[in-house]
Amino acid sequence: MKPVAFDIAAPASLAEAAALLAQPGAMAMAGGQSLGPMLNLRLARPELIVRLNAIPGLAGVAEDADAVTIGALVTHAAIADGRAPDPGMGVLARAAEGIAYRAVRNRGTIGGSLCHADPAADWPTVLTALGASVLTSSGRRIAMTDFIAGAFRTVLARGELVASVRIPRLPADAGWGYAKACRKPGEFAHAMAAALTDGARTRLVIGATGGKPVLLHDADATEQGARDAALAAGLDPVAAHIQSVMARRALQQASEGARA
Amino acid sequence: MSLVTLRVNGEDVRADIPPRTHLADFLREHRLLTGTHLGCEHGVCGACTLLIEGAPARSCIAYAAACDGASVTTIEGLEHDPVMEALRAAFTAEHALQCGYCTPGMLVTARDIVLRLPDADADRIRLELAGNLCRCTGYAGIVRAIQRVLREGVPAVPRTLTRLAPLGTLSRDEGEGLSPPPSPSPASREREGPVAVGDGRVRANEVRAGGNTELTQTLRLSLPPDQVWAALQDPALIASCIPGAAIASVQDGRIEGTMEAALGPMRARFAGAATVRYGTDRTGTIEGEGQDRASATRLSGSARFAVLPDGASGSVLEIVLAYILRGPLAQFARGAVVQDFAAEIAYLFARNLEARMQGRAAAPAASLGLFALLWRVLRRRLARLLGREP
Ligand SMILES: Cc1cc2nc3c(=O)[nH]c(=O)nc-3n(C[C@H](O)[C@H](O)[C@H](O)COP(=O)(O)OP(=O)(O)OC[C@H]3O[C@@H](n4cnc5c(N)ncnc54)[C@H](O)[C@@H]3O)c2cc1C
Ligand code: FES
Ligand code: FES
Repeated sequence: MKPVAFDIAAPASLAEAAALLAQPGAMAMAGGQSLGPMLNLRLARPELIVRLNAIPGLAGVAEDADAVTIGALVTHAAIADGRAPDPGMGVLARAAEGIAYRAVRNRGTIGGSLCHADPAADWPTVLTALGASVLTSSGRRIAMTDFIAGAFRTVLARGELVASVRIPRLPADAGWGYAKACRKPGEFAHAMAAALTDGARTRLVIGATGGKPVLLHDADATEQGARDAALAAGLDPVAAHIQSVMARRALQQASEGARA
Repeated sequence: MSLVTLRVNGEDVRADIPPRTHLADFLREHRLLTGTHLGCEHGVCGACTLLIEGAPARSCIAYAAACDGASVTTIEGLEHDPVMEALRAAFTAEHALQCGYCTPGMLVTARDIVLRLPDADADRIRLELAGNLCRCTGYAGIVRAIQRVLREGVPAVPRTLTRLAPLGTLSRDEGEGLSPPPSPSPASREREGPVAVGDGRVRANEVRAGGNTELTQTLRLSLPPDQVWAALQDPALIASCIPGAAIASVQDGRIEGTMEAALGPMRARFAGAATVRYGTDRTGTIEGEGQDRASATRLSGSARFAVLPDGASGSVLEIVLAYILRGPLAQFARGAVVQDFAAEIAYLFARNLEARMQGRAAAPAASLGLFALLWRVLRRRLARLLGREP
């Protein structure tokens, strides 16, 4: 199918993009790998597409002693290839490698994935577990735990864009685990879990629940905790069981990593 | 219209095209480069895969106007590429194609595999091919063809085609101080908690019956069953309680109109009809079907309702909702996402019904602002989550 007719603009700065996006009917386009399908299926019917790929600096990276920062327009493929700085243990590259297919990874961006907020997408769950935060075009810094409001919804205001994502470096003794259940490689997952532990404290995030990623700490960060949280999120017992299995695998990988 | 400059197979091309033209349509219809095939047109099948700036990409979800200034290489442009020559020979030798529909996309992906992953084994090749569907060959020949090229040696090609540009440097505080944090959008200003109905909250328990989604809502009302049942005899009243609906006509128990729903950036407007039927023992059903014409998404469902006595003078209205969503929207709105919406619709219906029976107007459809609807969905999720904490 073909999209509805729309205009297209290619602003050269974030401020200009934000101004264009303040108009009703305007939508941002990063890699277009989620927006494209929605447009072609006429599920999204914008009047104006504001493409972000002409804004310089958004596809860059930075790092300091505490964290790495990834520009919103950095692609999954660039991260999978290890061309973005690593906060530790190759966690980002590992997650990026498992997103969709190479041809999609070449264009899909980390910022677009977060803003699209598909409950089954990888970055929302992974970056919540890693304690990341986004920096917006309005200068707001928003923790991942607050950023996603629900299925396909974020707390961004109209016209507000994500500029970059800041990911704290993993502690030296950290362990990391990530597991997802997909019907076929590259398909959206129907269950996923990410775990970060330093031996003493554990963060477990379950995703693909249909809503925002669910963060569980320490005593709740268990296979049973994941099952309970999945049931509380409205999943049926079978789906909740698969979630708990993903949680077990992620926790196991993390504890093995922490001991190593 | 949008003026676009592209470098297609080494040739500079300028065209004035509608911005909605995707790259595959542009190449096929404006440049007559029909080697790029279209299957699904939403990024899943891989038939349209070609090279943008030397890297494989889906041309069905890349818009020509969004690629302004880029260099694009189609299967035609790879005719004399030495890697492609080797792959073509191997595809022929290994019977890696039958109808050929998937083949241009397969070859572009295969070329990326042999250049990027020189050590790939059969398993890795299959993993990398997951994004290219072939309905004929069963993949075995394709995998063997790629293995053959890897075994016999991959011809050297200029590296510029296979490497992405290095990442630049983005200041950590880029964007800071551009403008003060925005005031809340109208959407977030609409946020308010669920309104309590009757003597308490509507309870939803979700059941899956034979693959369909079924969900039960109960509503306690402080009116006797006969009075509730009498009110329900009016299909027009029932129609006026359907959230997000604009009713065109109500005749002989048949309600015609539209119902709007939104999910993040996605919108659907279902036009259709529902029929109300009354049974014995204060039970009835509403059955309906609607279609969002723009996206060809179909929604069909039924609501069974029963009015039961509750205590001396109260009653309970029980609604069992069963629904099926088919088509594009269902692809995005998987499982629990739609369940939440259905639960919300049943909840709002019950709330509107109570308001109407108490002589108040149901919340007009427009004020159900779908953002508010979404927010209530979220609140319910949060409440459920918080509910399990001490
Ligand atoms: C076949 C297929 C399979 C896929 N499988 C997976 C998978 O397994 N896991 C997974 O995680 N993803 C998957 N994806 C989605 C993919 O990861 C997308 O790249 C990603 O969701 C969106 O990134 P994008 O840059 O393409 O954003 P776009 O599609 O351009 O935009 C997505 C949304 O975000 C908004 N937006 C984009 N950038 C910004 C910004 N900087 N600030 C504010 N708003 C912005 C847009 O307005 C739009 O609403 C798949 C996609 C396809 C086509
Ligand atoms: S037509 Fe582009 S991926 Fe199917
Ligand atoms: S050869 Fe027919 S689809 Fe692959």
